Amino acid sequence: MSKKLETELYKAAAMTFEELSFLLPTPEIDEQQLNAQVEAAVSVDFEGPFSGKLLVKVYGGLLPILAANMLGEEEVTSRTQQYDALGEIANVICGHMLPGIAGSKDIFHVSPPRMAESIDLPPMAEVQVGLGLGRADLLLFVSRYPALMEESG
Amino acid sequence: MALNILIVDDSSVMRSIIIKTLRLSQLPLGEVHEATNGQEALKVLDGNWIDLALVDINMPVMDGEEMINRMRQNPATADLPVIIVSTEGSETRKEVLRQKGAGFVHKPFTPETLRDAVLRTLGGLDEQKA
Repeated sequence: MSKKLETELYKAAAMTFEELSFLLPTPEIDEQQLNAQVEAAVSVDFEGPFSGKLLVKVYGGLLPILAANMLGEEEVTSRTQQYDALGEIANVICGHMLPGIAGSKDIFHVSPPRMAESIDLPPMAEVQVGLGLGRADLLLFVSRYPALMEESG
Repeated sequence: MALNILIVDDSSVMRSIIIKTLRLSQLPLGEVHEATNGQEALKVLDGNWIDLALVDINMPVMDGEEMINRMRQNPATADLPVIIVSTEGSETRKEVLRQKGAGFVHKPFTPETLRDAVLRTLGGLDEQKA
């Protein structure tokens, strides 16, 4: 795992959950958050000087809360809107994380979010964010990341 | 004068957030049109009077940059004020878009940030015309 990638990933995720869905993120995960059931996962792909995928999984009843908070409504029952909200969160996290990793000059193309498929490869970075009674797991898969090659070389 | 606004984003949640934010910002809103990608947006522009377009970059079918390129090539929409509302972090890409006359608002945003960007974009164009 790359510490730099994990730092940038957590920073982007914490800012996004706080400013877009008005939840207070914590790096510590308590037992209830750890044992929460997974309820949804979305991913976004990115391509540029290096390419990869960001996978965001939410646990513990967060999916409707994220959508309701983002839309400023008491309740959002539409699963389509709930997934759309989570997809936008993944998109914003990815958009904020990439300049932190690559600098602000490189251009990346980020694909529209989609419901995540299972991925067999190990992630290059993984962080957990505590959010109320639930949590979000963020897994970053990267290919051709020059700094990491230098670290391992 | 009420502003007719076109919001172009593939996320329905983000379009709703932008509409709510515009209403909170007390801008004089007229008609609000929505499109899920650049191609749909060009069709809306073809059939409606629009004063300002708020456009995401990364979208399926036709992205925001391509949409702006096509708008600028069409005399009817060449001077339409555009604000990019995106997570774009590349200064290189933002500079390219600025050179095409687009303002920029980074997601997530506050009502004040969006209102100021709208006023700056519309005001800037008024100054150029004067």
